[in-house]
Parts: sequence; C-alpha cells; structure tokens
Amino acid sequence: MRETDLVIVGAGAAGLSAASEAAKHGLSVTVLDDNLLPGGQYFRRLPTSYRHTKETVFDKERARADALYATTGQKGVTYLNDAVVWEAPEDGVLAFARGADSGRIRAKLTIIASGAHDRPAPFPGWTLPGVVTAGGLQNLLKGQRVIPGRRAVVAGNGPLVLLVGATLARAGAELREVVEAAPILKRLAGSIADLLAMPKIVRQAADYRLAIMKSGAKLRTGWTVIEARGANELEEVVLAPIDEAGKVNRSRSRTVKADLLVVGFGLMPSIEMVRLMDCKLEWKPLRGGWVPVRGANFETSRPGVLAVGDGAGIGGVEMALREGKLAGVIAAERLGKLSRDQAASLKAPIQSEIAKVETFRRGLERLYAMPPAFLDLLTPETIVCRCEDVTAGELRARQDAGFGSTAALKGTTRTTMGRCQGRNCLRTLLALIAQASGQPIDQVMMPRPRLPARLVTIGDLLQEELPPIEMPKDPHLPRGEQVS
Amino acid sequence: MAGSVFVETPPRDAEIVVVGGGVAGMSTALFLARAGRDVVLLERGVPWGVASGANAGTLSLQVKRAEVLDLCKLSLDVWRRFGAEMDVDVGFGQPGGLRVATTDAEVAHLREYSDEQRGGGLEFEWLEGNQLRDMAPWLSTGVRAATFCSGDAYASPLLAGGSLIAAVAKAGGRIVGHAEVTGLSRENGAYRIETTKGATRAKILIITAGPWSGGLARMLGVALPIYVDVNMLSITESAPKLLDRVITHIGGILSLKQLPNGTILIGGGWQGRGRFAGMEKFADHVRLGQNLTTAVSVVPDLAKLRLVRTWAGYEAVAPDALPAFGRLPGTDDAYIAAAARGGFTFGPAQGLLMSEMILGQPPSTPIGRFDPARLLTGAHA
Amino acid sequence: MTGFRITDGIDRGTAFQFTCDGEAVTAYPGESIAAALMAAGHRRTRVSARSQMSRGLYCGMGVCWECIMVVDGKPAVRACMTPAEPGMKVQTQHGVGPGDGA
Ligand SMILES: Cc1cc2nc3c(=O)[nH]c(=O)nc-3n(C[C@H](O)[C@H](O)[C@H](O)COP(=O)(O)OP(=O)(O)OC[C@H]3O[C@@H](n4cnc5c(N)ncnc54)[C@H](O)[C@@H]3O)c2cc1C
Ligand SMILES: Cc1cc2nc3c(=O)[nH]c(=O)nc-3n(C[C@H](O)[C@H](O)[C@H](O)COP(=O)(O)OP(=O)(O)OC[C@H]3O[C@@H](n4cnc5c(N)ncnc54)[C@H](O)[C@@H]3O)c2cc1C
Ligand code: FES
Repeated sequence: MRETDLVIVGAGAAGLSAASEAAKHGLSVTVLDDNLLPGGQYFRRLPTSYRHTKETVFDKERARADALYATTGQKGVTYLNDAVVWEAPEDGVLAFARGADSGRIRAKLTIIASGAHDRPAPFPGWTLPGVVTAGGLQNLLKGQRVIPGRRAVVAGNGPLVLLVGATLARAGAELREVVEAAPILKRLAGSIADLLAMPKIVRQAADYRLAIMKSGAKLRTGWTVIEARGANELEEVVLAPIDEAGKVNRSRSRTVKADLLVVGFGLMPSIEMVRLMDCKLEWKPLRGGWVPVRGANFETSRPGVLAVGDGAGIGGVEMALREGKLAGVIAAERLGKLSRDQAASLKAPIQSEIAKVETFRRGLERLYAMPPAFLDLLTPETIVCRCEDVTAGELRARQDAGFGSTAALKGTTRTTMGRCQGRNCLRTLLALIAQASGQPIDQVMMPRPRLPARLVTIGDLLQEELPPIEMPKDPHLPRGEQVS
Repeated sequence: MAGSVFVETPPRDAEIVVVGGGVAGMSTALFLARAGRDVVLLERGVPWGVASGANAGTLSLQVKRAEVLDLCKLSLDVWRRFGAEMDVDVGFGQPGGLRVATTDAEVAHLREYSDEQRGGGLEFEWLEGNQLRDMAPWLSTGVRAATFCSGDAYASPLLAGGSLIAAVAKAGGRIVGHAEVTGLSRENGAYRIETTKGATRAKILIITAGPWSGGLARMLGVALPIYVDVNMLSITESAPKLLDRVITHIGGILSLKQLPNGTILIGGGWQGRGRFAGMEKFADHVRLGQNLTTAVSVVPDLAKLRLVRTWAGYEAVAPDALPAFGRLPGTDDAYIAAAARGGFTFGPAQGLLMSEMILGQPPSTPIGRFDPARLLTGAHA
Repeated sequence: MTGFRITDGIDRGTAFQFTCDGEAVTAYPGESIAAALMAAGHRRTRVSARSQMSRGLYCGMGVCWECIMVVDGKPAVRACMTPAEPGMKVQTQHGVGPGDGA
C-alpha cells in the first residue's frame, strides 16, 4: 500500500493549491484525479503537445494555470492522473483504480477537493445532440479549443451564463440569444456593493456582457429555455419569459433556430466520496444542494477528513484556490510542520481574502437566486433519467400508483441506476417527490451511498493484493449473527 | 391518493393479516386474495424495499440441497406461471445454469454432488473439454468441468416487486405501506395487531417479515432461532452479450448472470459488514475484491467491464438452512414463512403452500420437513 | 458545418485521421474523440437502448456517459475523456454495442 502524509482527491483549483502549500511546508502529498491532465474544471488544460503561438482572449488565466500545473512536479508532491478514487475502505485509507497501478493509499490526513458538475436541467428536448451543459462547453473550450456547434443559444441561471455567452461570441460562433432566468439587471443595484468586494470579477462580467452585445446577440434577463426541438439533433430552441416566482409565460415564447444550446443552471458539488465516508451533510441550496458539514479548519464530521473547494459547496474558482491554500496550511500545522504561530500568520491573509470572496458570493447569490422552474416544463415524454431512458410521465404514473418514495421509484423504474449513478437525474427525482408529497426537498430520502464513488473497471480492482479466500464449510448454513 | 395500489391505513378488521411485504408475504397475499379471501398486508417500510428488492434473482435448482429440490421445482414453476399464466411480469428467464469446477478436488466434488442431486430427481448434463467450450466459449480455460441444468432460471427482483404488488391489489388484497407492526396479542379469539398507523384485528395472522419474523413471533410467546447473513451484490454496466447462462460455482462463492438489459449481476453470498440492529450494513472491501476475483477466474472478460454499484442486504436463515413455514407452534391461527436460504427462489412456492394450508387444500408438495416447530427442539428450543 | 476549432493562437501539430462509422475524421495529437467529432460536425455519439433516442456530448467532463461510443470494438468508451489516435475505428453506439450498422 502506498503511504503519504496528506492525500488529496481532486487536482482542480482547490486540490492543487492545497498540495502546493502543504508540500512547501514539508509534507509528502499525493494528489489523485480521474482526468488525464491536471487542472480540474476551471483550469482544464490543453493537450500538452499544443503550442501557444500568441496570447488570445482565452489565455488570460495562463499564468495562474501554469503555476497550478507546476504543482504536479513540485518536490514532495506525487500526482496520480487517471486515478479514480472509488472507496474509503478504512479510516485514513482510500482505494483507487488506475489500471495496473490500482491500489490503496494510507494517509495521515485526507482532503476531498472533488469539485462539481452541472445540475441537471430537464426540459423537453434536453437530450438532443447539440444541447450541452455550460461546464461541457467551457471544458471543450479550455481543454480542446473546440466549439461544438455554430448557431448558438445560451440559457441558464448563474454567472456561467454570461461567461459562456462571451466565450461563444469571442470564439466566433453565431451567437443568437443569451437568456438568464433571474432578473439580474433589476437586482443589480441591491447587490453591487457586495459584488465590488471582488472588483476584478465585476469588470470581467462587464466585459462578458460587452462581448455578447458586440456579437449582435440578444441578451435577455428574466427569460428561460422551455424546449429544444429537432429530429435527431438540435434544430430550434423555444425561449419564454419567466417571472420571479419561476412561472413561465408561454404566450410570449420565441422560437430561435440554433444548432447549439448551452444550458447552465448552476453546479452541484460532487459529494459521493464524503457520503461514502459517512460525513454528515447539510442542505445549502445556494451552495449547490447537499454539502458536507464542515467545522473549524474545514474538517468534516469524520475526523481527519477535510473538504474544500466546490466539492464542499459551490464557491467558484477564487474561493476554491483560497480554501485549498488554507487547507494546505492547516494540514501542515496538524501534522507538525508549522507551529501554531507560524500557521496563524500564514492563515490570516488567506482568511481575509476568503472573507472578501464570501461577501462577493452573497452579492452573487442575491443577484441570481431563482426558484427552479423545471418541473412545470416536464411533459410526459420528457426524459428524466438519461441512462435508463425514464420519462417524467413514467415517474409520475408510478407516483400516482403509490410508489412515491425514492426507493420505490428507483426500484420500479431504474431511475438513478445507470452509469451516471444518479448525477443527472437524482436531483430531479427528489424534486418530483418533494412536489408530490409536499415535503421540502431536503426532507426527501436520499438513496444510500454505494460503492464505487465513480465507475471503475473490474480488472483494475483485482490489482490489489487480497488475503486468501476462506471458504465456509457448508455454504448453506448461516454465517451471520443470530437475531432471534 | 386516487389510483394508488396501496391503501393508506389498516382497516379495523380483516380476515387475514400478512406482516411483511417481501416475496414470501406478497406471494402468500396474492394466492389468498385470488382465492377470494379478505387479505391485508402490512409493511413497515416501502413494500418490496429490502431483501426481495435487492437480491440477485438467481433461481437455481442445482445449487439446492436434495431435501429442498421438490420445493424448489414447484417454486420455479410458480415463477414461470406468474408471467405465462397470471399476467404478472416478473422478468422470468430460464436459460439453464452451469455449475463450474476449477480444480481436481472440485471436479470430484461436483461429481459427488450432482450424483446426489440426480438421486433427488434432477436432470444434468456433465460437460468438459470441447463440449463445455462449445456451450460456453466465454468460460475461463481454468474451468475444468461443469454441470448444466436446463431448469436453472432467474427473475428480476425489480420488475417482480411492482408486478406482484399490482397483482395483489388487483385481486382485492389491501397493502398498507409504512405500517410497522409493533405489537401482537390474542384477544377474543382473534389477533390484535398494533401498528404505527393504528391497530387492526384479524382471524388469521401470517408473519412473513424476513429476519424480523423471529421478533414478531416472540410477541406471541414463540422463540424461533433465526440468523441473518449480510449478503453483498454487485452490478456492472450494461454490455453486449457476454454470458448466457446462470453461473454458480461448486468450490467458490459465486453467482453470475446477465440480464436482458445487458447488466451483469455478480454475487453468490459474500458477506458484507455491519449489524442487524439499526440496519447498518455495508459492502466489505476485501470480500468484494475476492468476489470479483472469483468471478473473473470463471468469466475472464468480466475484467473489462465497469462496476456500477455494490450493496449489501440481509438474508434470514434458519439454523438448519431449510425453509421454515407453516403454523406457528403453539398458536391457533398464526403462521410464519421466513428464513429460507435462497428465499427469493422459494417465495412463490411458500406463498402457494401457505395459501393451500389456510384454504384447507392439500399441499402441492410435501411440507412436513419445513414445519417451523422443528426449530423449537434441541439446542435452540 | 456545425462545430469548429478555434485556431487563433494555437498550433496543434500534425493532423491525423481516424474513422467514425466508416467516414474519415481529422484529429490532432491529444485531441479527444469528442472534440474531433464535434469539429467535424458529427454530433450523435450514441442511440439509447430503451427509446432509441439520439444522444451526444452533454457534460463534457466524464460524468454523464452520454458520449459513449464503440472504439476499436470496445463499447462504452467516453468520447469526451479519450484522446483520438491515428487509425482508430470509432462507431456510434447503439444500445450496448455497435448495433447492426457495424
Ligand atoms: C466547466 C466549468 C467552468 C467553470 N467556470 C468558472 C468560472 O469561470 N469562474 C468561477 O469562479 N467558477 C467557475 N466554475 C466553477 C469551478 O468549478 C470552480 O470554481 C473550480 O474549478 C473549482 O475547483 P475545485 O478544485 O473545487 O474543483 P474542480 O476544478 O472541479 O476539480 C475537482 C477534480 O476532482 C476530480 N475528482 C472528483 N472526484 C474524484 C474521484 N472520486 N476520484 C478522482 N478524481 C475525482 C474531478 O474530476 C476534478 O478533476 C466552473 C465550473 C465548471 C464545471
Ligand atoms: C444481496 C442478496 C442477494 C440474494 N440473492 C438471492 C438469490 O439470488 N436467490 C435467492 O433465492 N435468494 C437470494 N437472496 C435471499 C432473498 O433475497 C431473501 O431470502 C428473500 O428475499 C426473503 O424474502 P422475504 O419475503 O422472506 O423477506 P424480505 O424481503 O426481507 O421481506 C420482509 C419484509 O417484512 C417487513 N417487516 C419486517 N418487520 C416488520 C414489521 N414489524 N411490520 C411490518 N413489516 C415488517 C420488512 O420491511 C420487509 O419488507 C439474496 C439476499 C440478498 C440480501
Ligand atoms: S459528455 Fe458526459 S461523459 Fe462525455
């Protein structure tokens, strides 16, 4: 089994910042990430064989990105790419799948920096090729410099909408419409004071808006997507105004020809590892839903396990970088590499920066807060579970027949049981149950956490050395405890 | 709720109350309701929510001990008839099964075992060499011999649940979910049944509460020893056809099958971790590895597939591993059906036989040796 | 043509070809199968098993499994996570495998 002082799950902004800081203070650090290249989502890396011939508008983060990538070669840091962390078999031990190099790693301290993915946004037609998530679009841009369509519409809720709109405009797509569900222009005055805690980001957002306007695209706030249409691929998008209660006004809908629809209705933390480790969760809708409860020093309810970055609640890249760095200091202190005083003086400036980001986030949350409106858009034919092809109509029929619980709906329809392990449907399923039962969504039963945290190839799991198999004398006889 | 197949609360009175909504209880309720009897089924949680909805669905004849072969044959026939004659789609398939042996010792053991089974009236084909490869080219060359039993089958635990529940309701049975039975007593010639959704009374009481059955029997003063295994089960991603028989292993703990949607279930009864109290049960990392190692040693191409999910569930087992069903010893009209090793296989037969017992019909197969009274004797009395 | 590469500021090296459902597709070293296909305007990656619906790249980060294709005979390869290789044979996935059109 590998051994390390500190193990970090996730080589994104948070994980790499933590690794860099902790190694600087003398810890041995191992970072595991399931991608081929480091960087996570925001700092997704271009193939290393690509050469930059000049700086473009897409290279603004290069300095920060290169510094993060350099962490993987830093003294004291072991970076394992293409490594899926799939289980925590015992305290302080993680199991990972990495081809012939699969195995376990034991650490004195664990940091989960697992990041986030797009929240599922079901509406009629959302499964058509040509409909992609904001994350998917940004990843293709950053990691590949490819745009997956030409005539584009962007729809969603949250800061990524403007970003994606600007990306498409700057990339030379024929951007048609950018629609943000929240009436942010109306709300701006009430948020701007907090937002100005991060003036750089406010300037960026203004640039994004300008880029969208210059492209000739229409930018609408208080509008949303209600349908995507096409035979085998996206052909047109239907948009409609939405009021602050989330009610869609279909009578004013507009149909736009497009071959690319980017949807971004916010992100959801990847909580599968903290769930497997039995960390307590809390419901924080403004941070993306279920997040691990964190005490002082980012520690979860499981001693020795810290959670930072988007995986601990959506906070954006500026938050992830700083939480990661702070976690690196915390780890070095806990493992005796820094005195309390040394640590305190390192922590203070990071904490004050985090406070600024938090103020900014509060402004952002007020600006963008929107009740989710998807359930009203679902027609009986709308797919809810993409992997298993389960429609809203099937789910609602099961609910009407009395199979209304999470377990009964899963069991009778296979929703959440496919390869995505519920990442694209569980949230919708919980919302449907909440709607039918009148419960708040955080009261709806979550399925039990199950192995593996992410899909792993069986052959990889056999790389681990196992104790010899002990066969029961008679396999028919009971092996467990007597219960009566 | 309108259109629901469930009823919200237990009625004040019923002729028959069944406690526990797994395969044993649901089958019992189905046959009694179809016979026109007034049946209420009380389920603590979501009906079909535990073992019956979480098991591997293997319906294998050739893994069974000789004493239970007739019961097993009957049950497979009922499983088949659900879909074929009763319009209850349980995802039944009968591709036949291979029981494999990988060492000399296992080959000898398999011969011995299959001779014994043959004595119990089971038909086999003995396969080795080219014959075995022809039938199952996907088997590892490490498999030295196998017996093929054409009767081995499977059903879909997920499909069967919804279908059986709907069938019970259609036949007039009333199913109450989220009604935990918390007290049982005798009162004026009937049973008084306390639940978390109010009390009910019944002339006839049937306990089909899986591993919780012993605790319920105790409320009526009957002490039945029941053990619980924590079985693990894994499922792969969906894949093109890889294996087309139900696989079991004479010398290793293994069951394998590929479902119509292409997913492959890997189990056999490897033990997870946890306790019965509080329903804390988890997959065990080491034994999952051993389970997968065994599986790949028999079907090497499994190594290329991805694991999607592993879970653990409770299987109740009597100390002698035989099914226990019939009248609860020392009571007038209380019955129990619980603790069959491989209880998913036996559930439908248990249901049919329980209904015959209660309807005063002759049993479709002899049931004497399954009388729960046997468990009261000896060290366990 | 839908989908395109941004060429400004990037030298991708020497292009190579692979095939998708028999048609030649251009790619660059390090490029993902999905990116090359998107740039070529080929957006359907799979046809779903139960409803036979066309699906394509959705999450772009390995979590949705909508982009799975048959690659050199191996089903369920995520096109968004897998670099293209010269001469690779990529096929639309129909249900669990290559389907009849193989
Ligand atoms: C595409 C995209 C664009 C974004 N753009 C912006 C933006 O412009 N501005 C902004 O402020 N925020 C943006 N965000 C939010 C952004 O995710 C974060 O700000 C930042 O990337 C978070 O960093 P992180 O380290 O917490 O997580 P991530 O960057 O998501 O990194 C987490 C890493 O952990 C890996 N991982 C997770 N679980 C496992 C496991 N079990 N085994 C192995 N590896 C695992 C993931 O694959 C990933 O590589 C964006 C998000 C996305 C998805
Ligand atoms: C992982 C796994 C794999 C298995 N694989 C196979 C296999 O391949 N083939 C096979 O034949 N068998 C298999 N089994 C065994 C099989 O699943 C069980 O033996 C069978 O499902 C038991 O059915 P049952 O109806 O007796 O009990 P259960 O399904 O356990 O149902 C009992 C019901 O009673 C309810 N209940 C309990 N207490 C109360 C109360 N106080 N009030 C009201 N309701 C109550 C419970 O909530 C439960 O729903 C497997 C088991 C597991 C766990
Ligand atoms: S697009 Fe989601 S996994 Fe590839």
